[in-house]
Amino acid sequence: MSSQEMKEMERRFPEEEYFMSGHLACSGCGATIGMRYALKALGEETIVVIPACCWSMIAGVFPYSSLKVPVYHVAFETAASTATGVKAGLEMKGDATTTVLAWAGDGGTFDIGLQALSGAAERNEDFIYVCYDNEAYMNTGVQRSSATPFLTWTTTTPAHQAKEEAKKNIMEIMAAHRIPYAATASVAYPEDFFNKIKKAKEIKGLKFIHILSTCPTGWRLPTQLSIKAARLAVLTRIFPLYEIAYGEKYTLSVKPEFHPVEEYLKIQGRFSHLTDSEIEVIQENVEKAWVRLVKKAEA
Amino acid sequence: MENKITFKRLQDVPSVAISLGTMLWNKTGTWRYLKPKYTIKTPPCNEACPAGNDIEGFMVLVREGKLREAWELIKEENPFPGVCGRVCFHPCEASCNRREYDEALSIQAIERHIADSHLTAKKEKHHSKLRRKEKLAVIGSGPSGLTCAYHLARMGYGVTVFESHSSPGGILRIGIPEYRLPRSTLDHEISGIESLGVEIKTNTCVGKDLPFEDLSKYQAIFIATGAHRSRSLNIEGERLEGVLSGLEFLKRIHIGEKVSLGKRIVVIGGGNGAVDVARSAWRLGAEKIQMVCLESREQMPAFPEEIAGTEAEGIEIFPSTMPLRIMADGGSGKKVEFIKVNLGEAKTDGSLNPIPILGTEFYLEADSVIRAIGEVPDLSFLPQEVSIKKGLIEVGEMGFVHTKGYFAGGDAINPYHTVAGAIGSGKRAALAIHEYLQGGWLKEKFRLIQVGEKGTISMKKYFHPLEGEANPPVVPFKDIKTEYFEHHPRISIPQLSLDDRRGGFREIQPGLKKEEAQEEAGRCFNCGVCNGCDNCWIYCPDMAVKRKKDRYEIDYDYCKGCGICFEECPRSAILFEEEGR
Amino acid sequence: MKTVIEGSHAVSYGVMLSRVQVISAYPITPQTHIVERLSEFCANGELQARFLKVESEHSAMASCIGASAVGARAFTATSSQGLALMHELLHWASGARLPIVMANVNRALASPWNIWCDQIDSLSQRDTGWLQFYCESSQEALDTVIQAFKISESISLPSMVVLDAFYLSHTFEPVDIPDRERVDKFLPPYEPKLKLDPKDPRSFGSLTSPDTFTEMRYQMQQSMEKAKSVILEVDGEYQKIFGRGYRMIETYRCEDAELVLVTTGTVTSTSREVIDQYRDEGKAIGLLKIKSFRPFPSEEVRKELKGIPKVAVIDRNISCGVGGIFAEELKSALCNEEDRPMVFSYIAGLGGRDITQETISNVIEYTLEQDRPKEDILWPDLKR
Repeated sequence: MSSQEMKEMERRFPEEEYFMSGHLACSGCGATIGMRYALKALGEETIVVIPACCWSMIAGVFPYSSLKVPVYHVAFETAASTATGVKAGLEMKGDATTTVLAWAGDGGTFDIGLQALSGAAERNEDFIYVCYDNEAYMNTGVQRSSATPFLTWTTTTPAHQAKEEAKKNIMEIMAAHRIPYAATASVAYPEDFFNKIKKAKEIKGLKFIHILSTCPTGWRLPTQLSIKAARLAVLTRIFPLYEIAYGEKYTLSVKPEFHPVEEYLKIQGRFSHLTDSEIEVIQENVEKAWVRLVKKAEA
Repeated sequence: MENKITFKRLQDVPSVAISLGTMLWNKTGTWRYLKPKYTIKTPPCNEACPAGNDIEGFMVLVREGKLREAWELIKEENPFPGVCGRVCFHPCEASCNRREYDEALSIQAIERHIADSHLTAKKEKHHSKLRRKEKLAVIGSGPSGLTCAYHLARMGYGVTVFESHSSPGGILRIGIPEYRLPRSTLDHEISGIESLGVEIKTNTCVGKDLPFEDLSKYQAIFIATGAHRSRSLNIEGERLEGVLSGLEFLKRIHIGEKVSLGKRIVVIGGGNGAVDVARSAWRLGAEKIQMVCLESREQMPAFPEEIAGTEAEGIEIFPSTMPLRIMADGGSGKKVEFIKVNLGEAKTDGSLNPIPILGTEFYLEADSVIRAIGEVPDLSFLPQEVSIKKGLIEVGEMGFVHTKGYFAGGDAINPYHTVAGAIGSGKRAALAIHEYLQGGWLKEKFRLIQVGEKGTISMKKYFHPLEGEANPPVVPFKDIKTEYFEHHPRISIPQLSLDDRRGGFREIQPGLKKEEAQEEAGRCFNCGVCNGCDNCWIYCPDMAVKRKKDRYEIDYDYCKGCGICFEECPRSAILFEEEGR
Repeated sequence: MKTVIEGSHAVSYGVMLSRVQVISAYPITPQTHIVERLSEFCANGELQARFLKVESEHSAMASCIGASAVGARAFTATSSQGLALMHELLHWASGARLPIVMANVNRALASPWNIWCDQIDSLSQRDTGWLQFYCESSQEALDTVIQAFKISESISLPSMVVLDAFYLSHTFEPVDIPDRERVDKFLPPYEPKLKLDPKDPRSFGSLTSPDTFTEMRYQMQQSMEKAKSVILEVDGEYQKIFGRGYRMIETYRCEDAELVLVTTGTVTSTSREVIDQYRDEGKAIGLLKIKSFRPFPSEEVRKELKGIPKVAVIDRNISCGVGGIFAEELKSALCNEEDRPMVFSYIAGLGGRDITQETISNVIEYTLEQDRPKEDILWPDLKR
């Protein structure tokens, strides 16, 4: 029998942590993993702008912070506009190296924050905008947002009248702005996300990364399945991983084998009301969207 | 750790809500009701290996290029990696979890690679500097006897091995042809055993050259005389000239005798012995070789790769066929009458039950007829206090035979003849003898050194008990997170071309190159054993998994018990259980 | 340098001389001329600043907040709907103690649309913790912008410099534009103690419990109190260097007045004429101009109005349900005084209706006639 000796495997990420324990995220929170790797990729010369969202709480309440970088908490819809000002201020102070990272939830990006994001994108402001998407207003108690997927249960779309609208396609919106770099990511693929952040850091202009972040609390699944869910979202092609350069060049990051959407849906309580025919409809929609995406990537 | 900050006076409060400290005072470990814990479980390959190799352990070392450590790890359990790496029936590969994902690891080839990398190895190592006063005897220098001697010598005992033939090795030397097991490999590993101080007395047959009673001066005796008496066909014509036993044939080749078999050979038997005979005859230039056996093609007990080799060499196989009689056919020729059979239910004694199909008689012509239908032990030399049942020595737990200090193992006790099994029984007996001599014999200890549920034992566990559970459960395939492994085919090892094989006994399969072995070892799932993949560290939302120099540690002050580490460990090396009360 | 420029442009010069580093603006009539001139200054290099052409006023204030938080001097300008849209962020900026300066051109709030002068927009923000300075002339507007940066940066609260729509923003007046070197000496670069800095990483604005919130608001109020002396200090310094000062209020011919007219903004200029006429006729009428509305100059107002029998406040705004805001605040400051005047509250000039000399005279006449106001709110220019 082997001893418990650590084998000398290659370390997959730099050791340094910019995010400390003791924070207030729910057990199993996916959004924590997003921030951890974003900061590993960006390092200490980073300023994070956080609007109202779960992350307003996660890092800690006054007078504490569990992050080792400066953080500015801002009003709900102002992630992109405040980040614009922060970057402008830094430039005028002669600081061209500090990265500005806007870190917003889906509500603060898809809904109330969309205007500011669009404005910043149109002006090609130089910062990285990460939308960590847990697909509802989780911090206020799981109300639907325009990022909530079709037929999902939330407290404002209860099971007998689950969300009727499709998930807003934020990536196509960002593509339409022709920003230099937009990408999707998932907390189950941290190397991919880390590399995308690193890539974004080297580009001037607005970089948008949409990372799917499991919320065991709001998705109603056991905390231990948090990463598995985020992985299945990618494997079932419900949340494909890809990049868009200048709104035109699409590159797939992962080309998964076929996995039926049921694998992803059945482990989450927020989908437990779905009938078989509803699942079929979802499968069809996913397949159509995938085909479209693959075509764009091959073009 | 940082403390909470309190503001007592107005002047203590800053003008803006600015952070003044970290959240480290907040021990989120109190949120938990389930707790993850690092553990070691049993890889199925380790359970399956009758010799008790730590396969998963050496696989990791090979991947890291640490061949010396890999060799030493094997040597803790098994003195014959070069042998097993060539001739074992590799039940490890049949139980490898990877076979359910793509293909099983080439464990045997890697074991061989490790052994071959140490052909110039120096003296073997003892366990400790302790040299004991007891002297022990081993009868038979086959895999079982020599393994027992090896382990006893490592524990500091003086051992003398009595071998009736002119050179040591037992069936390894006289029964297995050189194209499967080169003599140099065998010699090297035996000399390694001798370097520990084991004395091998060849040409000394206990019962003939040396009475059994003379062994009473030894404090314990291990009986490992194997099975060398060929079974008879019990048909007419068996005693004609040119009808020989397979073992006899192979023995003669081994000592370099020029055996003239003629051009046409009929080999009777369906096991490895028969195949060894047929393929050896081919190499000696026989033009037409036909192999006949009772079993159907699928039931043939010979190794599938050996059967494939047989057919590749142009040997014709006649399965489901029974010999009726052998007749002289002019000059030195013979004619053998056969009949097709179906195998009915096995007889009560376990032997085959062929049912002839009337009217299917046919004849085969041959210059030599070789019967290779298995061997049985010759136990006539044993004293009457040794109990014999169904032609095998009756043994108790761990090879115990008699309170006089008799132990037994190998083919002398086991109707299923495998080298690995023999090695395992030799190791078991060595520990039993040690316990017997030191006045121990705790059943509990033997339970603690089990690896899985198939009777495999670990020498390493004996001397270095595991922390926590002694014999943790075996990891089934369903517990492996295949998402973290890319499909990768098993390494394919080419064999010598037919031309290169013909006319000699060159080793048929080359070994792996170092890079090949490393790549193949990289396919190992490391079932149930942490290999430092970092998944737990990567996915912990609370940074509660810390990387120490040689292990991971969970900081339970902050672990919220989400269980992500447990779920994402690719190899099920983490437990997740209710917090202890 | 003496020249004749629009009120808007006077503000632009003030901003340029103050070496603002980040300007963020969204266009709205009648603020546009301010930012257009600033655009030109940035384009021709007279002003080294990032000019952010944001997509709404809300984003304008948000980006000022961001820029100020890293220690850059930030400015924006707006009016009416734009200011109203920024409302939540005005609270944010002051709570975050950021010395942003904003020019607001007083314009009515819809509905219905009305682009002309009304003070309701800035006064609706009186609870947001911003200093508010009401300017009477283009010169005052320019000078106030420069002073505002110094005041704000000293007490860490943002300032609003308020101009009347069109009357001040779009009229041309002679203005003495101060020279750079003296402004630079007067207003050094902005170096805040607390700012976003990767070398000293902190979190700003996290959730704050009842345990400390009161103390933070108390400190804000204390700063507002301190502002009163800081304003006078800064203004005094400015007076010394540039020969012009405005203080928090100005009294004009109030010696033994029986009636003091209280005005803000450009109405003050018109009123001066009317006061002179009355004084020429021997009537003891005086004028009190309120420049600093936040902090409210309670002590000064109490002092100047002690013993004055009547006060007539002209409000170019109405807080429906209570009345003219300056009048309400004045009454509030005076309510516990023993020797306090009778306060008449007049609403005039809403939505850009001219407040003529005639209107002002009517106000004075009515006030002189009545012992006490017949109504809490009086409408001198209402159609009957």
